[in-house]
Amino acid sequence: MKVTLAQHGGQAAAINLRLPPQVVDTTTLRADEAGALARLVADATSAPQAAAAAPGKARDAMSYTITIEDGGRQTVLSQSDTTMSEAFARLLAWLQRRR
Amino acid sequence: MNHCRCLNCITPPHLLEKLLESSDSRVREAALKTLLATARLRGERSVRGFMAAAGVAPSNGRRTVFDCANGTFLPFADVARTEDGPASSDASVNNAFDGLGATRDFYREVLDRNSIDDRGMRLDGYVHRGFQYNNAFWDGREMVFGDGDGVIFTDFTKSLDVIAHELTHGVTEFTAGLEYHNQPGALNESMSDVFGSLVKQWSLNQTAEEADWLIGAEVFTPGIDADALRSMKAPGKAYDNPTFGKDPQPDHMNKYVNLPDTDEGDNGGVHINSGIPNKAFYLTAIGVGGYAWEAPGHIWYEALRASNISTEFQEFADTTYAKAGILYGTDSREQQAVLAAWREVGIRISGVRTIAAAATRWRHAPATAARNGRAEDSAAALTRQIESLSAQISVLTKDMAGLKGKARH
Repeated sequence: MKVTLAQHGGQAAAINLRLPPQVVDTTTLRADEAGALARLVADATSAPQAAAAAPGKARDAMSYTITIEDGGRQTVLSQSDTTMSEAFARLLAWLQRRR
Repeated sequence: MNHCRCLNCITPPHLLEKLLESSDSRVREAALKTLLATARLRGERSVRGFMAAAGVAPSNGRRTVFDCANGTFLPFADVARTEDGPASSDASVNNAFDGLGATRDFYREVLDRNSIDDRGMRLDGYVHRGFQYNNAFWDGREMVFGDGDGVIFTDFTKSLDVIAHELTHGVTEFTAGLEYHNQPGALNESMSDVFGSLVKQWSLNQTAEEADWLIGAEVFTPGIDADALRSMKAPGKAYDNPTFGKDPQPDHMNKYVNLPDTDEGDNGGVHINSGIPNKAFYLTAIGVGGYAWEAPGHIWYEALRASNISTEFQEFADTTYAKAGILYGTDSREQQAVLAAWREVGIRISGVRTIAAAATRWRHAPATAARNGRAEDSAAALTRQIESLSAQISVLTKDMAGLKGKARH
């Protein structure tokens, strides 16, 4: 499984536009790490997005596109700072810790 | 009867001052608000003394800072500092508290605005959001700050202009409501940079010449080769390093960056193309001189209040020009500075032709035959044409002012 994280927007939006996405390939991980990532991905893909406190009114919030490629299938998750589910936030934090 | 010099004012000032002595508090408050609005439009600050005398309640904007303890779910955050409570042992909490206060005080003292919504809206800030979160944002109701990863970015509460930038998004939402995409979105971002920088300049008592005009200069770690997130004075030159590449902001319409209206495209480049109106404001401030929050700040604020959700650069520029004329007079130094500033970033104010542009056209026109059959000296002919045009513009300007006055009455 390959998981790609791209970050957009925020105060540093102009910088984020230029930074390459982060890619994690489970074949390069230890077995326990790969298992943890798989569980986080499963939770994030099944959890609904949260409702924003003020829909459409966030400014300089960041958004994230996580692309999961697994066995020929591709799943794309796109959520933002104000709408992410808890499961998405955990997956995001796991990926960001590996930057 | 004395006539108010402000074209928007019908009730004469002496009558308003008499109403300040009314026994009815609602009448006193209404009169005071009108006087303050008029004085503010004139750039006068001395009339604030009326506030205490009239017994009007002070503005609100009470502050509360919450500690997210590295979580992302705001309702779980703990109260870290309240408006009347003691300072915290946490520097981030105190930075956010002070920054919210400075911004609130700026809007109240300089623009006579009672907090973000002009009705005393509470100011809530959330610090330590997330894990190494490289950002600060306005979620529509409150400000949220990250700590930075310590590698590229540091604590976002350290930057007063970033704090004021985010709160100004709230002000924009309660005024023009500029939609957050394409040109209206870039204007939205620019308004936040403008007032973000002005809050910092005001807090430091800096003139336009003394200010650094940088946004987020304090958010990078010492090891990063970057001046700031953005430069209003020199869009495109805030950074240029192997990590980020070169600052992509344009400083002229001929460098406008067309990006898709998607998250990946920064909603049409709202953080990119803001460089153009940012530069226009900087040039206006330098052109006028002195403190940028006075004439330029008031012109931009009134233009913001007169704009709407879909206002684009051209319309906004035209509005700043019109507001400069109303506030400071037609052909005033302030209005001319606005005109020149927008021209320098590639936006010509609608319906206004400059003498310089006219002179250029005449230089390319055939030489004029003069008296006694001899060709006139071209420079002398040009000079006479400029003087003639200048006189015509003066007459037209007076006619326009007269027509506006008649339309209001």
